[in-house]
Amino acid sequence: MKYMKKEFYFSKVIRTEILFTPLLIGLPLIVGFSFIFEWYNRGILEGSSAFNGELILGIIIIIGNIVFDIPLIKSLRVLSKKK
Amino acid sequence: MVNVADRLKDAREKIYSLDFDAHWYRRAFHAFGASFLLYYILPDVDWINILKLWIPPLIVVFVIILEVFRLTGKISSNHFFGLRMYEKKRIGSYVFFAVAILILLRFFPQQIAIPCILCATLGDPIIGEIRRRFSQKYVYLLGFLVCMYFFIITWFKSDVLLIILVSIVGGFGAIIGETKKFWWLDDDFMIQMIPAILLLIIWISIPYLGLSYPGEIIYPSIMPW
Repeated sequence: MKYMKKEFYFSKVIRTEILFTPLLIGLPLIVGFSFIFEWYNRGILEGSSAFNGELILGIIIIIGNIVFDIPLIKSLRVLSKKK
Repeated sequence: MVNVADRLKDAREKIYSLDFDAHWYRRAFHAFGASFLLYYILPDVDWINILKLWIPPLIVVFVIILEVFRLTGKISSNHFFGLRMYEKKRIGSYVFFAVAILILLRFFPQQIAIPCILCATLGDPIIGEIRRRFSQKYVYLLGFLVCMYFFIITWFKSDVLLIILVSIVGGFGAIIGETKKFWWLDDDFMIQMIPAILLLIIWISIPYLGLSYPGEIIYPSIMPW
């Protein structure tokens, strides 16, 4: 699949993707752990199985994001070293 | 003494020299969409309900305005990292993605919306990776199984018959939405809306099938104060 040309990415503009990356990686993990916290707090501590949905979704969100975040972080490379 | 201006210049050059693989950036962006499920866990109190009412449409309006600026040339397409070549003169897939999520959050019960959002946010990039590594026949088969899985695990509170029906219909709808390509309508929209509409038909038919509605998957959180 072809993407837009890359030359622009080396311009002197602080690039949106770099600023956005901490949010891209961090927010889904925070949301996933919030779901698990809810399951623990209201499900485990109060002995209710009604909150198992939170656990399932929390795990899916965390694993699903880590699976794609690791290659993204690996793909981050300093071009000056490569050159 | 180290010159501060030189150090700042070095830091800036380092930032500029970082490079992302657009392919993985796009995949991670998709997976990031699962964060919108936060909507369902937010506490059910007045001021948060007002935020829940207004923030999602405002995000979509912002995205649409951004896209209008891009398509009219007021913002260069080069600012949009990971944009595909065919999206240069067409509405970007992220707009379709956002609009579909908004429709699901607003107009569909969470039992339908959650698996459909998972199909787009996690199923779509998984199918994309299957497509890159295997032949097309595996895309249909494995893609169907992946999407089916999302419906099974989110409908775990319902009757077995309903789980089977929903997972097959939902998985089928999602894979049709993903593989059927239109130039003017993105698969990020179709993968969410086709299974959602099919499941809505089942949802309406549930009482007529003699089955009971499944309980909610996620319950709103309780304010700690």
